Amino acid sequence: MKQHPLCTDPDHGPTIMDLPIAEGLKTEWAELQTRRHFFGRAGKMLGWAAMASLSGERIFTGDAHAANVVPSAQSVRLPHFAPKAKRAIYLFMSGGPPQMDLLDYKPNLAQLYDKDVPDSVRGAQQLTGMTAGQARFPIAPSHWAFKQYGKTGTWVSDLLPYTARMVDDLTIIKSTNTEAINHEPAIMLLNTGNMNSGKPCLGAWLSYGLGSMNDNLPTFVVLLSKTNPKENNQPVSSRLWSSGFLSSEYAGVAMRSSGDPVLYLSDPKGVNRDVRRKMLDAVNEINRQTSQELGDPETNSRISQYEMAYRMQTSVPELTDTSREPQSTWDLYGPDAKEPGTYAYNCLMARRMAERGVRFIQVYKRGWDVHADVTGMLPVLCQETDRATYALVTDLKRRGLLDDTLVIWGGEFGRTVYSQGGLTPENYGRDHHPRCFTTWMAGGGVRPGITFGETDDYSYNVVKDPVPVRDFNATVLHCLGIDHNKLTYKFQGLDQKLTGTTPASVVTNLLA
Amino acid sequence: MIRLRGIKLVWAASFLVSIALLLLPFVFKLDGKTHADWQQFLGRFHPLVVHLPIGLILLVPLLELAGKYRPAMLEAAMFVLSLSVLSCLLALVLGYLLAYGSGDAGAGVARHMWGGIALTIGVLACALLRGASGGPRGFYPYMLVCVLVLLAWTAHQGGSLTHGNNYLTEYLPAPLKRLGVGTVRAEASAFPDSFYAKHIHPIFDANCVVCHGAQKVKGGLRLDTYDRAMRGGEDGAVIIPEKPERSILLQRITLPPDHKKFMPSEGKPPLKPEEIAWIQAWILQGASPEMKSLAGIYVHEEEALPQVPDYSGKMKEIEQTARSAGVTLVPVSRNLGDGLILNTVDAGQKFGDAQLAGLVRFAPYIVEAQLGRTSVTDGCFPTLAKFTHLRALHLEETAVTGAGLSSLTQLPQLSYLNLSGTQVTEAAIAPLKTMKNMRHLYLYNTPAERQQP
Repeated sequence: MKQHPLCTDPDHGPTIMDLPIAEGLKTEWAELQTRRHFFGRAGKMLGWAAMASLSGERIFTGDAHAANVVPSAQSVRLPHFAPKAKRAIYLFMSGGPPQMDLLDYKPNLAQLYDKDVPDSVRGAQQLTGMTAGQARFPIAPSHWAFKQYGKTGTWVSDLLPYTARMVDDLTIIKSTNTEAINHEPAIMLLNTGNMNSGKPCLGAWLSYGLGSMNDNLPTFVVLLSKTNPKENNQPVSSRLWSSGFLSSEYAGVAMRSSGDPVLYLSDPKGVNRDVRRKMLDAVNEINRQTSQELGDPETNSRISQYEMAYRMQTSVPELTDTSREPQSTWDLYGPDAKEPGTYAYNCLMARRMAERGVRFIQVYKRGWDVHADVTGMLPVLCQETDRATYALVTDLKRRGLLDDTLVIWGGEFGRTVYSQGGLTPENYGRDHHPRCFTTWMAGGGVRPGITFGETDDYSYNVVKDPVPVRDFNATVLHCLGIDHNKLTYKFQGLDQKLTGTTPASVVTNLLA
Repeated sequence: MIRLRGIKLVWAASFLVSIALLLLPFVFKLDGKTHADWQQFLGRFHPLVVHLPIGLILLVPLLELAGKYRPAMLEAAMFVLSLSVLSCLLALVLGYLLAYGSGDAGAGVARHMWGGIALTIGVLACALLRGASGGPRGFYPYMLVCVLVLLAWTAHQGGSLTHGNNYLTEYLPAPLKRLGVGTVRAEASAFPDSFYAKHIHPIFDANCVVCHGAQKVKGGLRLDTYDRAMRGGEDGAVIIPEKPERSILLQRITLPPDHKKFMPSEGKPPLKPEEIAWIQAWILQGASPEMKSLAGIYVHEEEALPQVPDYSGKMKEIEQTARSAGVTLVPVSRNLGDGLILNTVDAGQKFGDAQLAGLVRFAPYIVEAQLGRTSVTDGCFPTLAKFTHLRALHLEETAVTGAGLSSLTQLPQLSYLNLSGTQVTEAAIAPLKTMKNMRHLYLYNTPAERQQP
């Protein structure tokens, strides 16, 4: 064995790795070596300690995509059944859109203007610190009128003229509900099935379970939309698209809203592609040696990430080159779509990625946290998103992609029917509301043109067919051919899964 | 002499009992009317008591066989056989009280009844033959075998009465079902695609037909066919089209479950809210035997995918061929019979008609071919005609113009065809209109789309 280029140990002789024995034995040996090396070298290099404790016992346990498996009938583990959707696009409305101003029509509220929400409705609910001190909880009816649209006669707010055109394609869920009342736990719960960070998110589970459909783009991409500084933008960060305890190759690759979509993807000045290739080959060789020595799968993840980045140097420019889009595309998405980083641009990118075999695309739009000035902010938010959302669904539909693409729209919670702060006939604010919020899905696997679940007259409590987050996620997995109870990963002594330990169930009434 | 006379007496008594049993159905006819409550009270112990003779009779052959090694067992066999006779008689009487008292009638009840009578006489005969000396003793083993066969048949008839006709075959593995095992259910409707045949009849079949079917006809009502369901029972029609509130059937299934008249009765599980909604909507919208769908009612159907031939032995070969062509052939799911998806996204323009032809030996396993953005041309159609199991075909953004598109009509399962961004014309796609399963045809950005009105 050649001496490790980074290693100064003089006593390297021939090792197990050089012997003509089965690969499996070598791997096993390498696994055992991890601990020996740890003890042997702890004094020399503190870094090893971190490394070994990270790898520990989860090496090679239950990996659905272990490298170099000989294809056999047994090696196909997923999908568990023939899926309706091959990919999903998740339009995440971070901040919590107010359901009663958009899709959860409550005509009776107009007469209840400035009346208090009855105690019987609020129950013993603990409120956020932002409104818990309020002396009154005056009802703020929606500022906007609702009309019926489509063959289904679904009520939609005047704020969403474009969404109104596609209601017959949507599966609207009015009874989504969560346990978390603040942004961070709520957005974690929705994405990872757990309020605490450290668990893999939906996209990571999909990458882990279903694998990639293409070689040149990541399996799971996150698109962050430009923020509007006037809006109340809550932070989103990589823990939302983290792979948690799964290998880091399953984490989402975030594309930025300005500048290079992926950082450090372009070659630095003076470095051409050949030099880059040579450098990568050398780094990979070193990594491969490390991998042989230590058997830590994370090293292999790193190799594949370097390679993916290299391929993305050509695939991403092709992806983002919209010069060959027909005029009909721009007519549909609107002028915003020409400006990189806007929500409309990201919706167009989502379609282009869907065409190029990206499994899961999550578009984040921040700013829905309308604690005050609802009448000022909501039209802006809807103007930024309504047309592009409609355009995406319509574009997928006319191109024949909606049949096997699941589109999901929703935020982390809803908003209160009572006004936060002062209520006037012209304006009001709305606080966080976990007990009910409206989401929708469209496309592969879900039943078009239905509204599922009901809320009470105050859009406060779910009165029929509640859909907790775990059931929502179980249903999404089902559309992609996954039994949420079977996609598990043993970690910390528990068969971890996206839907958590509370029994979850697929909402079959949502399925097509 | 006394002993001989004793034996003769036993034979004579048995003969008389047998005659009495055979005459029973003619004296107290099962006329489908309910009789005294005490009869039903006692009769309902029949399902309990009936297991006694079953256990005892099954024990007899075992004891007889064990008797070869331990003679004491032979003595026990006679004792058990005698008990079998008594328990048979008891079960028979209780069973008859049940049927007579509660007004059961129907072919299934009759079969079970005659089975029970024949079985009782058979067991009695077994006991007599076993006790006999000389010649008749030799018939005993044969008689015992007959009794065992009869037992199985009668017990099955009884089971069918309580659990329904298809109880055993309902979850039969699909391959056996296809062989025709267990396809006993008669055609319920002349319109197999109707909402009635697909959704209403199965509800009746699973919940009602046990008591209101050919086997048992309670209250004179049969729900096993559309015509009989509409005819109603002894109280008249139970389904009144467009009048759900006046339809007795709907009234009875929507009573509180502890109500005396609630259906399904006798503690059977109530219908699901969804099923009640279907029945209500079906009656409201005319209770038609033909109507294919109902307004406002959507039924979730898991349609079974057609299966491809077995390729599990060729997976390595498939993998290698695909890899050398720069494509992937991915199983639709872990159930390999669902087929393979041909994914060419990485090959792109490098994949053309020649590469497609190279995959033709795996054609029957491929259910979806993603050829969008490849360099395939109209030359791909003759090859694609060999992909006999193809359900979805992507040709978007390719150079095809539609010449030869008609060969796709040879693909019976093809339901999705994407020709977006190609040069196909209205004339070229005309032959596709004859395809029965073609449900999703995409022509975005094509001359054909622009030619359409």
